Amino acid sequence: MIVRLNTDIAAGVLGLVFGAVLWFPRADIGRLSIIFPRAILLILTLISVALIVKGFIKPSGRQIEITGSPRRLVTVMVGFFLWWGLVEVLGFLLTTLIAFFALTWYLARVETVVTWQRMLMWSPIILALVGGFYLTFTEVLNVRLPTGLFF
Amino acid sequence: MEMLLEALTSLLTFESILTVLVGVSAGLFIGAMPGLTATMALAMLLPFTFSMEALQGLIALGAVYMGSIYGGAFTAILINTPGTPSSIATTFDGYPMARQGRAYEALAAATIASVVGGIVGVIFLLILAPPLARLAVAFGPSEMFWVAMLGLTLVASLSSDSLLKGLLGGCIGILLSTIGVSPVGGESRFTFGYPPLQGGIELIVALIGLFVIPELLTMAAEGRGALPGGGELRKKEVSIAKIAKHIFSKPANLIRSCLIGQVIAIIPGAGGNVTSLVAYNEARRFSKDPKSFGKGNIDGVVASESSNNVMVAGSMVPLLTLGIPGAPPDAIILGVLLMHGLRPGLDLFTQSGLLTNGFILSMGLAALLLLPVGLLGGRVIHRVVIRTPYYFLVPSIAMVTILGTFALRNSMLDVGIMLILGTAGYFLRLIGIQAAPIVLGLILGGIAEEGYVQTLMAAVVDPIPWLRLVSNPLSMVLAGMVLLGAATALVPMWLARKGLLDKVEEEDSDSGGSS
Amino acid sequence: MTFTYKTLAMSVTAVAAMGLAGLAQAEYPEEDITYIIPFDPGGESDVTARFQEPILEEELGVSVNVTHRPGGGGAVAWSEFQNSAEPDGYEIIGVNIPHIIGQPIQRNDAGYETDNWRIVTFFHSTPNALIVSDDSPYDTLEDLVEDAKENPEAITLGGSGTYSANHLDMLRFEKEAGIDLTYIPFSGTGPLKGALEGGHVAGIFNYTMLGTEMADSVKVLAVAAEERVKALPDAPTFKEQGYDIVGGAYRGVAVPKDTPDEVVETLEEAFAEANRQITEKQEPLGFVMEYITGDEVDEVMAMLREAYGPILEDAE
Repeated sequence: MIVRLNTDIAAGVLGLVFGAVLWFPRADIGRLSIIFPRAILLILTLISVALIVKGFIKPSGRQIEITGSPRRLVTVMVGFFLWWGLVEVLGFLLTTLIAFFALTWYLARVETVVTWQRMLMWSPIILALVGGFYLTFTEVLNVRLPTGLFF
Repeated sequence: MEMLLEALTSLLTFESILTVLVGVSAGLFIGAMPGLTATMALAMLLPFTFSMEALQGLIALGAVYMGSIYGGAFTAILINTPGTPSSIATTFDGYPMARQGRAYEALAAATIASVVGGIVGVIFLLILAPPLARLAVAFGPSEMFWVAMLGLTLVASLSSDSLLKGLLGGCIGILLSTIGVSPVGGESRFTFGYPPLQGGIELIVALIGLFVIPELLTMAAEGRGALPGGGELRKKEVSIAKIAKHIFSKPANLIRSCLIGQVIAIIPGAGGNVTSLVAYNEARRFSKDPKSFGKGNIDGVVASESSNNVMVAGSMVPLLTLGIPGAPPDAIILGVLLMHGLRPGLDLFTQSGLLTNGFILSMGLAALLLLPVGLLGGRVIHRVVIRTPYYFLVPSIAMVTILGTFALRNSMLDVGIMLILGTAGYFLRLIGIQAAPIVLGLILGGIAEEGYVQTLMAAVVDPIPWLRLVSNPLSMVLAGMVLLGAATALVPMWLARKGLLDKVEEEDSDSGGSS
Repeated sequence: MTFTYKTLAMSVTAVAAMGLAGLAQAEYPEEDITYIIPFDPGGESDVTARFQEPILEEELGVSVNVTHRPGGGGAVAWSEFQNSAEPDGYEIIGVNIPHIIGQPIQRNDAGYETDNWRIVTFFHSTPNALIVSDDSPYDTLEDLVEDAKENPEAITLGGSGTYSANHLDMLRFEKEAGIDLTYIPFSGTGPLKGALEGGHVAGIFNYTMLGTEMADSVKVLAVAAEERVKALPDAPTFKEQGYDIVGGAYRGVAVPKDTPDEVVETLEEAFAEANRQITEKQEPLGFVMEYITGDEVDEVMAMLREAYGPILEDAE
């Protein structure tokens, strides 16, 4: 998918927004802690303005290309965040199993029709992968993974 | 010399060699996982070393350290994800090589370069430790500020299409580094009243997010794996002898990278995170064909991987002589030394010389063993990445990424930050802001700030405080290097713009684009 | 911010909670214990915890897992602990003075309160020490004070962190001696050693450990302890030289507020035993082993809060 966008102006605006987010809460910070971030914020603003100006005078890229399917991109993006959000509710093991199955199913559909039989065939592989990493981290590396409601 | 031989014999026992072999293999596995760092690998090993003799414990730590720094190259080459911060530069050419079906070539080159780098570091440590240590302490606050600035001039060369966008990325990175508790002043900044943000944005969290997540999203959107399938691969496989010949026939690159690695490794605090970037940058600057860098030039991989493995033994110079850890993992080795009643200093090389030399030589042995372990492991992991269909690969990498990020500080918030930065990184890449300058800013922001504010504080009685920044000879030299570095990066760009040189900017697709 | 009323209120609730404690907890511990270290691996807190781990496991009969939750100079772990830990003794956390006194005063979003937990014990302390390099013109504390009187603010002293134990005691020293020095914070002891060796600061105000680690190349001018530290028998205390400064970092372990008494006692004993067994390893490094429990914890807290509180409030 190709989107028409002046990338110089986009980058400049983004820089200004980012700067603004950090600029406003800076009031009650002591002198020693703020001189450096303030200097960088100033430089950031200058660069952003320069980019916007350049975007109007001599833009470099007028379009961006999203390779592949934008719908799949957004779905997987949202999927990752759901995965993260659910870990603390359902626990790491369960959430990861669900997320793994869902992602595999969703992505495999691009190539072929995914039947129940195929999913069933994949189950041992997925179970072994998730279980293997889960056990490595909890037992060998001694990491306390979030447990949630179940495990 | 006698002591060296004695140390060598004590090392060449079945037990020691086995320890090194296991250590290197374990380190390799940990280093190859995004999120699991060398520091963590050593910390996990710590309890086991309590029950070992001092030398065995140190041998194990040295081997794991060496293995984990090297392991970072695997993921850097195969899935465009630096497993450790020290292998960022390996992605620049390693991944394009892999996309062209030359993954094994890149892996072999990385292995050979790492072995050479590891051994060179050990030699430096054995013969030049005391003079190098004196150089290490010459870096005070003002010098550190300039070192950071010198690192930031890399932004100019890391931003391929637009300098302004590269600088913008660098500034964003520096500002991200200021979130959390300020290094000088101790107050919390930019937390938006949310206490957990006091922890700031950990470098590795940002690194994983900015490199892995955009890659995963691209793979998912395009419905493809990280690398092209197996058929293409066979044709292009090159023998190891040929790769070795290519590397050793042009030793300048290797020598330069090792020297850079050693000098940067002894600067406490800058450490291994930037060695590979500096070496990569210089390799390109001195190359006859700088344009081929970033598109799969094997010399880029060699420069990055040789310099970061020099750092392993190289950063032990200030550690063993003065007790100053050069890189974060060294702090753990210092702890072990102290625990066994060994105080860093020259005594360590004379009184307990047998132990110290044994430890240093064991790192050389570990570097040598990287060759078989790495080539074998590389072949296996390469196969796995190629054979695995992308619909297994994407969730698997995502799972490992989440696990690794969580394990870093036992924090789900870090996982969230990683995902947010990664998603943002995908869009930033679209508009031409690459991950590398952001990460560079994040690495160097803290160093620059600390040096700057400390210098100004120390100059409180001076009439013009900021003149302290250039009052020492060394800081003047460094400041000069910053100007020179910026000039050599900017002048060709400016000339190109004026049409005096042939155009530099015909390529625009980045490493992750469809090629 | 005032803590006095809150302290009072909290000690009342604590006493009330102790009354309720007798409920079927006699068997503690039955499960694994998680021991949270709010700092990076490799630091003093971590190394000490690694020493304690096997002894605690033996004493308590369950496994003790050391995990790290670094960030914000400890504040991230402490705020999380105060918000979410269960008062059952299966989750314990390392605490440090003066961090837990200083941070809540200094930051408005530290996320935890100095007294919102029960400190089981402080197991060791590391007194502050004023250290200069061997080739320094100062041979005694008096030399330094005289020079400082002639050249106010010209003498730079490095230390670890801002409003840390190092910084606070240096400020006390300035007041006691009536001099003006310049304090420069560094991030941890590693860079400090370099700053001293490289002559980037005139001296450092750090812990006794650094004095023993660098014994070959430094002079320890004064130690902020009641009596001389075993590892540095030749280094005089501030008190001997006429300055009433006793202070440093204390490391201990805490459990949530309403944890039953028996649990706390079991932990106290286990940590005391661990201390006894690791004394010979830690004392030569410059640590001072402590067995501060129960009311003594409150006394130490009160003493240090009195010493540091006004300085911190001033800075605010």
